[in-house]
Amino acid sequence: MSDELKLPPFTPPPMGAELEAELGRLVPVETRRPMRQLAIVCISSMVYAAALLAILSVRADAGELPMGWMVGGGLAWFLGFVVPSYLALVPEKGTMIVRRRTAAVAAVASAIAFIAMGMLIHPSGPSSIQLGAERFLHGHWCLELGLATSIVPVVLGAIYLRGAVPTGARWIAACLGAGGGSLGGLLLHFHCPITDPLHTGVMHAGSVTVAALLAAALVPGRTEPR
Amino acid sequence: MADPRELMTRYCDGDASAFRELYAAVAPRLYGYLVKMARSKSVADDLLQQTFLKVHRARAAYVRGADPLPWIYAIAHRTFLDDVRAGKRAKVGVADDDLPDVAAVPDDPGPDPELLAAALDALSELPEQQREAVVLTKLEGKSVAEAAAIAGTTVGAMKVRAHRGYEALRKKLEGRA
Repeated sequence: MSDELKLPPFTPPPMGAELEAELGRLVPVETRRPMRQLAIVCISSMVYAAALLAILSVRADAGELPMGWMVGGGLAWFLGFVVPSYLALVPEKGTMIVRRRTAAVAAVASAIAFIAMGMLIHPSGPSSIQLGAERFLHGHWCLELGLATSIVPVVLGAIYLRGAVPTGARWIAACLGAGGGSLGGLLLHFHCPITDPLHTGVMHAGSVTVAALLAAALVPGRTEPR
Repeated sequence: MADPRELMTRYCDGDASAFRELYAAVAPRLYGYLVKMARSKSVADDLLQQTFLKVHRARAAYVRGADPLPWIYAIAHRTFLDDVRAGKRAKVGVADDDLPDVAAVPDDPGPDPELLAAALDALSELPEQQREAVVLTKLEGKSVAEAAAIAGTTVGAMKVRAHRGYEALRKKLEGRA
């Protein structure tokens, strides 16, 4: 059968009038520079999150909580922001197609890991606040704040990936959203004094999942070639 | 064939002749891929133009030094899928006037037209994902990893699709022999 499959070469049509017309208006463009763009996304987003934290204030119980948890948790949220952003924005060397599969794994893994972390590890101090299950929904502000924080990295990432993702765009967008949601989690880690597991597991870590889902729904229209 | 990386770089710097060279170098292979996928020359004509228009409009997404071919193939793949999903592509039966033009190769008379029609017909009967896997790995000569990147799937899934597609195609052609 392999001989039968050796089909002859095909003669393509010449370039169409629309393509010729667009080519007639050709201007130089600035091409994608993934590492530089990753740096811009990370720095701009961190400055934005720091400004929000400065406006909103650091949590009242910060000094009462274990330093290891404050630093370790902050580092985990930071990596949850940087690693997915890197995977979504930077293709492997010599290629220009972003890593769809790794990005998908990163998006799902970070969503699950942060929910588990919020549910399982939640030290509290005398100044911490416990909402409890009955007042759980009163903490929705944290989810909204986390999502608001994710806007800058997601929007910047979508701009930089414009036209770059012909296939797997939803997974890449989800990865970008998960990274943005993790930045929201980082902000909440240093801002919100509510320490009950339902709140940290759902309202804080939920920003990763919800941001990933929203990005997967909204961003591909920008990143697919049109 | 000039290096597609160099052509793409010159094209992004505003050199229209580099795009024409890129088109001349890439379009025959891409057109072959689209004809095999769409099973219609007229549909493949349209998809080829759409693909290159998208490449042109998204050229700022190019990463200097990267091979643009998998990206261009992925755009063609996505353009084909969008076309199928939009229901624009009619299922075309095998007819001599719908077979692609065969580039003239004086020393090579080419395959038997009936055999070619049978092969293309059998290919068109495969499920879309298997057909794509067979076209990319067996006909276009892409590695499994390249084919997986173009189709936006995993290497393992592409291997399975290519194997199943190839086996199904072999059985169909044996049945017609």
